[in-house]
Amino acid sequence: MPELAVERSGSRGGGFQPAFLKAVSIAFTIFVVGYILIPIVVTLIMSFNDANMIRFPINTWSLKWYRDFLGSAQFTGALLNSLIVAIGTTIIATTSGVLAAWAFERYPIPFKNGLYLIIMLPLFMPGVVLGLGVAIAFGGINIFGFQLYGSRLLLMIAHSLWAMPLVFMLMEATFRTIDHRIVEASYDLGGKPLQTFFEIVVPSVSTGIISSALFAFVISLNEFVMALFLTDRDTQTLPVLMWLSLRSAGTPRLAVSAVILACAVFACLTVIMVWYIRQLRKTAR
Amino acid sequence: MTAVTETHAPVLTTEARRARRVERLLPWALMSPALVISIIFFGIPMLLMLRMSFNEHAPQRLYVPGFTARHYVQLLTEERFVNAVWTTMKLSLVASLATLIIGYAFAMLVWLKPARWRLAFIGLALCPLLISEISIIFGWWMFFPKNGLLSYALTSAGILSDKISLMYTEFAAFVGLVYVTLPFCFFILLSILDGIDKRLIEASGDLGAKPLTTFREVLLPLTWTGILVAFAQSFIWAMGTYATPSALGPDTLWTMGYLIQEQMLGKSNWPLASAFSMILVVAVAVVMMFTRSLNARRTSFHA
Repeated sequence: MPELAVERSGSRGGGFQPAFLKAVSIAFTIFVVGYILIPIVVTLIMSFNDANMIRFPINTWSLKWYRDFLGSAQFTGALLNSLIVAIGTTIIATTSGVLAAWAFERYPIPFKNGLYLIIMLPLFMPGVVLGLGVAIAFGGINIFGFQLYGSRLLLMIAHSLWAMPLVFMLMEATFRTIDHRIVEASYDLGGKPLQTFFEIVVPSVSTGIISSALFAFVISLNEFVMALFLTDRDTQTLPVLMWLSLRSAGTPRLAVSAVILACAVFACLTVIMVWYIRQLRKTAR
Repeated sequence: MTAVTETHAPVLTTEARRARRVERLLPWALMSPALVISIIFFGIPMLLMLRMSFNEHAPQRLYVPGFTARHYVQLLTEERFVNAVWTTMKLSLVASLATLIIGYAFAMLVWLKPARWRLAFIGLALCPLLISEISIIFGWWMFFPKNGLLSYALTSAGILSDKISLMYTEFAAFVGLVYVTLPFCFFILLSILDGIDKRLIEASGDLGAKPLTTFREVLLPLTWTGILVAFAQSFIWAMGTYATPSALGPDTLWTMGYLIQEQMLGKSNWPLASAFSMILVVAVAVVMMFTRSLNARRTSFHA
């Protein structure tokens, strides 16, 4: 241990840590890693449980609850709802967020700060408040026989209240990194604004667009407070169904649901990583 | 952009004029979807909610149009509601303080560790952010009760002889809430720390300062605004999170978010739920303005 400490004190960055601090930092690392991993590991273990109750220790292991999940029309239906809503949210939030961010970056806009605040404000509002507000405003609205309240469309827009500002914020930062001389060159060569946007700007910020779209997807997939207020029995999403089931009785099926939700999210992350690495290779070449 | 208008300005044909009008309207057209979302689906609902909070409530009806401040008076005088406001504030304050301490230590750890650990730690910190709140709740829900992992681990390790349950206690609510707010705090603080030259720490050490002195005299003043911003952010988030404390905490742990949901879905008292939401919105706005003023001061420092 003393040799180790000496060696560390010679290295850069750790120069000020004596052995005691090193012990504290190791203990803290274990604490943080444990703290973050506990609910994840517990859920993962429980999903392979064979028993009908949530109880430790687990005696027999099986994939029983995965089969049960896939066999339950209610849960697979809710998963499908979640995916539809998340895809819809991604489309709405990414389109509106990217366009607004481009307008902000490219054009002089009057009341820029005010508009910035209007676009960003919903991101900081609690889900409970947004859900209640949308429910009050659109509770009884019926467009040509289409009941807006309880529909997936309304939930997509409600989720966009969080997803769109996030896309906007990420894309505003991304657009700032592009070389404006390329855009000017495109204009000088006779490129129209729309053509320039789709052929020059979008390809050069594709990584930013993909990442922000996937973040929008993840936000919508995981959100459940607004969804609780805005869905009915037919349109409820998986997290809402999990919340309602948790209130009545928790079974390992919920663990399976949690694992499946998390898998969808990590699949998205993998897509971002793969895309990013591919882009890096392209620029390196 | 200016180059475009300048080159076309001398020859003001009708076509050029049209092009300029398009140029002027284009940003608004680009912003319109985003503005529609935030004005029609956020601005108007907020105004309607403000109006709703002054409506009368009658049993069997969601609301009766009217104009009364009764609900606000009720919130400020009825013991149960006043308690909810205090509980929310207290719980959020304690949770965000704990978040701040853990988040700061964690961010410092990542900052000081060699770069090869960095990605793993950042991935770890992203976990609570990427996992649905409901899954987090459920994870802790299986950890704390009598037949949960904690009790099993402690009894089988021989530390305890009887099974214990920490479920439905304020401690469980607190643990869950900190878990949800931790990533926000961590990433804000890490970005602040990344802006600091690590050699300052070494220099302070070389000049004979003890680690604690270095922390107090060098690191703390440099990260002070970051700390306040991270704290404010955690506080906002903790205030708005209602599912975690209400699912993990005791039945008597009434937070504002819980009461909004109860009044809205359970009791169908929309005016009261709206009045509660307005208080929450005002609280969030106050904290946000405070954060913004801090940010403004920070940028003016650096300029």
